[in-house]
Amino acid sequence: MKSANKLKQGRYLTQDSPVSGLQAEAEVIFSCIGDGAIATNEYGHITRINPAALAILDIKPTDALNKWFPKVINAVKPDNTPLPLIERPIFKMFLTGKSITEKLYYKLKSGRVIPIYTTVSPIMVGDSPVGAIEVFRDITHENEIDKMKSEFISIASHQLRTPLSTIKTYAHMLSEGYMGDVSKEQAKALKTITKATNNMNELIATLLNISRIESGGIKVYRKPCDIRQVAEEVVKELTLTAKDKSIKLNLHIPKQPVIIKTDSLIVKEVLNNLVGNAIKYTPRRGMIDVTVLNQRDQVQFSISDTGFGIPEQSQDKIFSKFFRAKNVIQKETSGTGLGLYVVKGLVLILHGKIWFKSAEHTGSTFFVSIPKIISRKTNGD
Amino acid sequence: MEEQPSLYDKVIRITNVYLGPSTERFIGRQVRNHLHKEPEEISEKDLYGLIDWIKVAVSLLTEDSEIVEEYTEQLSLLVGNSKPNKMTHKKPRPR
Repeated sequence: MKSANKLKQGRYLTQDSPVSGLQAEAEVIFSCIGDGAIATNEYGHITRINPAALAILDIKPTDALNKWFPKVINAVKPDNTPLPLIERPIFKMFLTGKSITEKLYYKLKSGRVIPIYTTVSPIMVGDSPVGAIEVFRDITHENEIDKMKSEFISIASHQLRTPLSTIKTYAHMLSEGYMGDVSKEQAKALKTITKATNNMNELIATLLNISRIESGGIKVYRKPCDIRQVAEEVVKELTLTAKDKSIKLNLHIPKQPVIIKTDSLIVKEVLNNLVGNAIKYTPRRGMIDVTVLNQRDQVQFSISDTGFGIPEQSQDKIFSKFFRAKNVIQKETSGTGLGLYVVKGLVLILHGKIWFKSAEHTGSTFFVSIPKIISRKTNGD
Repeated sequence: MEEQPSLYDKVIRITNVYLGPSTERFIGRQVRNHLHKEPEEISEKDLYGLIDWIKVAVSLLTEDSEIVEEYTEQLSLLVGNSKPNKMTHKKPRPR
């Protein structure tokens, strides 16, 4: 109780504060949390705020205590426009009743916008929520490191591509006999070299994609297109790969053209990845259905497979960078865990949504929904 | 004979005054998330437990705690008697 005594002696509360030892101890613990911590009551008014939160938000206790949380904490979108109340983690948390962890941005009184990593949880008394507690930290530094990492990946990928092209070109010339006859063993070795360089090229392309997504460097070129054709092209290109595993790849598209104004190359990349994944993680003689649904303002794609499925405990991490579920690592050794991360990034660039349902040993269905017209106000284009 | 409105209808009617067009979505999400059932299936007992969640959520949409109290009081009346306030502060906090 030493710290609680110290607290009572004056750092945070006065000698006269009518608090019990336990309350004082709780107060000390709250104050000593290294991350920012804010507690609210059931009316959304701030009842406690610790020194770390005051420092991050650059405010005084009087600016926050007994004030309405959304008024004190000014959450904004990356483009600096206000984040609607219903999109704020604290509100979403009360809708679901579960803790929510999110990255978002806070706008300080000075006008400076800082990236924040926050977890909001309900404060429960028995079965009743009586407020919320938000623990958050400023991730400006982490974001800078991330940016540097992305830049490094971008430069490294470019540098890797050049020698790889040389290897590929010479392997091709050798195998085609431009430099003399090639024995069967040599041809086999050259085929392996070509396959390995192709794999490496794909990996570099993925890394470059990630780097572009993370730096906001992907330009969106919107043009009217019949989205059915995009789906048809993807299925056509991957039919052979599916056939190699005796997988039946079916396409279901509307009879009428579905003309939308979007970046068809990005859509194609998304579908390629999802259908490619479905083939990769579906055992031989399985089935994959690719469906295009023409909805009012959206087009919805679904890619359904009879594959290994995603274990429940891995489902919340499936869109994370470098994540691969245990069951597929055991069955399928190749793969970087980057595909779905890229797909999600690309879908978000198109203002779309991606979600899935999956059951282990049964299969997965991935859904992608993209607006028929994407707003101009994005990606600097 | 005119059919009596269901409890769900009553909740919607009261909520509509405060939340307007978001009403059905808001109540729907509350019921589905906290009670894991369809909104139309809500019972008095369910509503009793749900009022506190509704209260904390609505409190983040309006700064006016008196309005929040007024709204949740009206919902409480639907569960037979006024739901006792389990919170620390029994009266609306001053704005």
